[in-house]
This record gives sequence, C-alpha cells and structure tokens, in this order.
Amino acid sequence: MSTTTLPQVSARRRRTDKLMRALLAVATGIALVPLILIIYYLLHKGLSEWTSGGFFTTDPNGNFFGNPGGVRSAIFGTLEIVGLASAIAIPLGIGVALFLTEYGKDTWYASVIRYFVDVMTGVPSIMFGLFIYIVLVISHAGGSGFAGWKGAIAISLLMLPIVIRSSEVVLLLVPSSLREAALALGAPRWQVIRRVVLPTATPGLVTGSLLAVARGMGETAPLLFTVSIAFALTGNLNAQMNTLPFQIFNDITSPRTEVVNRAWGAALTLVALVLILNLVARAIARRSRLA
Amino acid sequence: MEEVRHQFRETLKELEQATLGGLDLVTQQLDRALESLSYQDVELAGMVVADDDRIDGRYLEVHQGILSLLARQAPVAGDLRIVAALLHVLRCIERMGDQCVNIAKLVPLSGYEPPKDKDILDLIERMGQLARSQVADAKEAFATRDTDLARDLLRQDSEINRLNRAIFRRAVEVGDNLEMREWAMFMILVARCLERIGDNTVDIAEQVVFVVTGLFREFAEASAPSETAPAS
Amino acid sequence: MIPPETKITEQNQMPTAGTPAGKARTEARPAPTTRGHSIEIKGLNAYYGQLHAIKDLDIVFPPNEATALIGPSGSGKSTVVRCINRLHEEIPGARATGSVKLDETELYGTGIDVTAVRRAIGMVFQKPNPFPTMSIFDNVAAGLRLTGTKLHELRERVHDSLRSVGLWEEVKDRLNEPGIGLSGGQQQRLCIARTIAIEPEVVLMDEPASALDPVSTLKIEELVDELKSRYTIVIVTHNMQQAARVADSTAFLLEGELIEHGPTNEIFTKPRDERTERYVTGKFG
Repeated sequence: MSTTTLPQVSARRRRTDKLMRALLAVATGIALVPLILIIYYLLHKGLSEWTSGGFFTTDPNGNFFGNPGGVRSAIFGTLEIVGLASAIAIPLGIGVALFLTEYGKDTWYASVIRYFVDVMTGVPSIMFGLFIYIVLVISHAGGSGFAGWKGAIAISLLMLPIVIRSSEVVLLLVPSSLREAALALGAPRWQVIRRVVLPTATPGLVTGSLLAVARGMGETAPLLFTVSIAFALTGNLNAQMNTLPFQIFNDITSPRTEVVNRAWGAALTLVALVLILNLVARAIARRSRLA
Repeated sequence: MEEVRHQFRETLKELEQATLGGLDLVTQQLDRALESLSYQDVELAGMVVADDDRIDGRYLEVHQGILSLLARQAPVAGDLRIVAALLHVLRCIERMGDQCVNIAKLVPLSGYEPPKDKDILDLIERMGQLARSQVADAKEAFATRDTDLARDLLRQDSEINRLNRAIFRRAVEVGDNLEMREWAMFMILVARCLERIGDNTVDIAEQVVFVVTGLFREFAEASAPSETAPAS
Repeated sequence: MIPPETKITEQNQMPTAGTPAGKARTEARPAPTTRGHSIEIKGLNAYYGQLHAIKDLDIVFPPNEATALIGPSGSGKSTVVRCINRLHEEIPGARATGSVKLDETELYGTGIDVTAVRRAIGMVFQKPNPFPTMSIFDNVAAGLRLTGTKLHELRERVHDSLRSVGLWEEVKDRLNEPGIGLSGGQQQRLCIARTIAIEPEVVLMDEPASALDPVSTLKIEELVDELKSRYTIVIVTHNMQQAARVADSTAFLLEGELIEHGPTNEIFTKPRDERTERYVTGKFG
C-alpha cells in the first residue's frame, strides 16, 4: 500500500503568514486604543460624579456659585423624549416594513420607498432638527417654541429608517413556508401577519428597535433646534426640557470644573444607558436563537 | 438518458439470456434423448439423466438472480412483466428437462433389440422433430417478442397432439403382437413426454403474448382473441 | 394474471415492502365514514409570468380516494395542487385560468372567497412547517381559532385530530411544549393534524414524506391510507414506489400536460402510453 505524502508548507509562506498576523494585530491595536482611552476617561472622570451625592437626585440649577446640582432632569428628559420618539417611530417603522414585505413585494413603489428609506439613513441628524425647527418651532405650532415633543418628532424621524430597515430584514427572514402554511389554513392576510409573521419576527423586531432607540438616545444635534434646554425637572412635553446630550453640550464649556465634571458624569450615564439597551437587545436575540 | 438504470438493464438482459439459454440446454437434452432412443444407447441415456443437473442449476441460478433484481430494483410495467414471464418460462424449462429425462429413462427399459413397428417409429421421429422445432420457435418468439410466431406455436402443438393420438391408436393395433406389445407401451409413454414438451412451449408462447400485451390469455384451440396492446 | 397450474410457493412470491397499505387496498375497504367530495378540473392553464406551466389540464379526483401525481421535476405537479387550493395566485406574477370544481362549486368563480376555498381544501407541505412560536396544542388549534371555534370544542377537536394522526400517545403529556421540539416525522404528522383539525373536504399533499426518514415515511403512508375514508386525497410525489404503495389511481404529468391517468395497478404493470412506460421504468428521470 503506497502512502501519500502531502507537500509541507514552505518557509516563505510561514513567514508571510506571521507577518500578516502581526500587521493585523497592530491595526487592531491602533483601532482599539482610542476606544479604550474614551472608556478610561469616561470612567475616570465620570464615576466620581456618580458617587458624589445628589448626582442622580437633583436637577442642575444653573447657579454660578455653589453646588451646581445633578442631572436628574436631564435623565428624565431624555427618557421622556426618546420614549415619545420610540412610540412614534417603532410602530410606524414596523408598519412600513410590513407593507414592504407583505403587501408590496416586488412592486415598483416598494422599490421607490426602499430607496428613500436608504437615503434617509444617510441624512445627517442635524437636518432632522433643522426641518422640525422650520416646520414646528418657528411657526410656534402647539403654542410653544422649543418643546419636548417637537424634539421627539425629530428623533423619531431619525429612528424611523433604522427601524424600517432592520424590521424589513427580520420580516424577510420569516420563512415563506410559514406564511404558506397559514394561508393554506384559510387565514386572511392580516391574520397571517398578526398570528404568524409578527410573533415569529418579534425577537428580531425588538432587537432592531432597541438599537434604534439606543441611537436616538445619543443624538444631540436634533435637540439643539427643537428642544433647547431647561434645567427644571418637568413632565410638560410642550415646553423646553433638559436632556442628557444637551446637558453635556452645555456643561462641557463651563469655566467651573465642577460643572465640567458633571458633564463627564452625564456622559458616562448616557453611555451606560446605551450600553444597557444594547445588552438587552443582544440577550433577546440570543434567547430567540435558542428557542 | 439511456444511462439511467444501466446496471438494472444489463442485469435484466443477462437474466433473460440465461433463461433463453436454458431452452438451448433443453434442445440439447431432447436431441440426445431421442438419439439414445433410436440407437438404444443406454450410455447416452445415462448422460441425459445426469445432465439434467445442469438445467436444474440454471433454474436455481436465474431464479436467485430474479429475486435479487426484484428486491433491489423494484421493476415495474414492462420490466415487471418480463420478470414475471421469465419465472414462468424457467418453470417450463425445468419441466421440459424432466420430460427429456423421462424419455431417457425409458431407453434401457424398452429392452434390447425388441421388434419395432415402423409406423410408430416414424410417428415418434416426426413428433421429436416437431418438439424440437417448437422449442426453437418458443425461444425465438420470446427473444424477438414475436406474438405471431407465438400464436403459431399453438398450431404446431395441435399437430403434436394429433401425432400423439395416432401413436396411441397404432399401439393399440399392434397390441395383439405379444412380443411387440411391451415396446409399444413404452413408445406411448415416450409420446406422452414429447406431447408434454409441446404443451410447455405453448405455455412459453402465452408468456410472450403477456409480455407484449400485458394480458394473459390461455391459448384455446380457437383463434386467440386480439387485445389492445399497452406500450412497450 | 396467474396461470392455473402455477402454485405460489415460497420461491416465487414477490418480496413486499411490508406496508399494510398494500394489503388493505386489496381487502374490502370499509365504507367511507363521510360522504366523499370530488375535484374536477377542466381546461386548467397556469402561468408563472410568461412561463406556461400547466397546459389545458382535464382531470378528476374521485371522492374518498388517494390519487398520486407523478412526473419528472418541472412537470407541473406541485403547480396543479396549488391551483386547487388557489395558493398559486399568491406568487407574484402567477395566474391560473380554467375551471376547478369542488363537487358542484366552481372555485374560481366570481365572488368566491379565497380563504373559504382554502378552509375546505387543506394542504400539507414538503418540509414540515409547524408554527415555531406556538405549542403543539396551539399549532393544531391554529386553523380552528381562525374560524372562531369556541374553547371547549377546541380542546376536543385538537385531541381528536392528534389521535387521528397517531401522535396522541407521543405528545399527550406535553401539549404545551413548542411544536418545533418534535422530530421531523412527528412534525409532519403535527402539520397533518393541523390540516385535518378544521375538517377540510379534500387534503392536498405536496411530497409530504420526501424530507423524512424511511420509517416516518411509511407511517405517513399508513396515515394517508386511513385518511382516505374521511377525505379525498391528492398526493404529489416524486417517489414512484410511494405512489405505487399509497394511491388508488395515478396520474402522470410531463411538461405541464397530463399524459396518462389510471388505476395505480395498471400504470405500474401495463401503462398505455409509451412515455409513461419510460418514466415509470426509469428510462428517463
């Protein structure tokens, strides 16, 4: 019985392999360094703010002297505005995605809509702010200039294309065999969607939406022109409110070091919120894959 | 697309050829049996008896091959009919072989140099030739799927039957001759064997029609009814 | 077919695959428990865009019988069944013309509710497709819930359905577990249970066993045999042995045309058309 001898890896190939590996490691290192630095700075400067009394429990008070206050109103403001934005963008976005996948598949208008959605994902966020500013703020719609709900709309416009695209992907992943099975049982189309497509796609839809929310949370530019800032804790969405991004924007240029430090604390809070949302989204995605 | 089921087609063809080859063996045995009869050659007769093992062997071999083909290849339609027919033909071959052996066994029994009747001898010779040609025709008809030749076998067989009856009558006539009587009785038995061989060729002919038309009809003395032939 | 002299001995008896389905067909069949429904197709033409997939098809599927559709890939057999329950038109660009009648009702008539058609004509697909977010119970109940069946009746019908497909013993203690936790063969039987729970009149099966292992396949075939007494069954299969085992009559399609339709026995022992003979003996695939 003859044995087959396979050729050995040449020395030159081994050297090239090692070289490439080293280069890639260096590139990774270079890419990671700023990231690590950011995290380090955030933690270094922000954690102490977190532990200082009153960071989460008091509102910023705008005083020039004395305790500058915490960021409570900013956190609440962010949650309120992003909450409203999500309430607008998520149902709307999923609805559009459903239209594109269930009713409008392969039609010309679906392609047009898809094209515009793609364009929207590339629009700089400040444009949404400007748009709302011109349409709603200047015209004092709703009886107010800057207002929380107007900021929410701007952010929802930003979130919308993200929700649509990610939802569409997820909905397309639902096997058509499931739709066929439901149709074959004599279900009208909307029942197929309601009872089969949506439940099956839910984990993916949730993940996509959470990621859109995380994005919306961190946007500053739209808020600049729509909400502006207020220091007091308020639930009135029809007036100016405080938000974390704006708070950071405001504080970082202050001459007072306590205020600047507060900005770092707020930045860490914002990053933490986004991180939590991301982790929750991942956990849901993993759980659905196991199911 | 003829390459599909290549193995299966080859095997089926081989089985058919082996079966038809069995008919060649029968022809051989028949020739020898008749020769041993006319020359009173006891040794030759002994060979015929011994050589029946070859026919039995052929039977078992092809039979096994067919079982294997059925189990592994699941033939349907025309192929299935061929397989079913081959099984039947094999049986006929085996029986014909047995009849040749019967003839051969009669050779030593019919005694040494007994007085013989010329008429009976002629009739026996004619029967032998007819039987031989019927076997050859049966083989031809099956190999070429010739239904007309198959139906003709019925006609030939009626001739053999007629000769059989004639021999019987003649034997009765010479029965008064005490010396010849015993020999004549043996000749009746020989004629019977030859007639049986003829019947078996008719069976084979029926199988030919079955393979071609998918219908099984016993060949009656009257003309065979015409059937609408299915494909193949 | 057997000549009178031949005795059937151990030697020349044909080995069978051992399915009771074959035996049952030759024994006297019990009378159908429900009055049967037939499907009559006349002049059916089906298109995928420009592709003319079914050409002028005329065929009748008799009540309480299983009819097999055989033919090479692309011959249109799946398209035919999808035209029966009007699933064909759900494909973008696809359309069908002609007449398909369930008993006396023209399914393509104006004003006919497509969902009602599909409730009367059930379908089982090639790849088992239980709803992944639903439990075993909910899967079987899915069709019933669509028609607004009340809860107490629901339970009974789900249980009956599971019994009919022989799944009851295997799943009765875990009805709330997800449907996709079952094995392939069980999943397919679950899908069949789901289909018959709504008591359709006709059951269409598009290669129901081709994704399953041999034992599950035989179980499904036995099931088809039992279901015949309650439903009319049309089964598409590329497995000729399966058609031979299961179907009372068989139709051979080639390139969208019906070539031959007759009792299964005849198709597989003496088909009338040359093309049927060639396909069935494997001279082309």
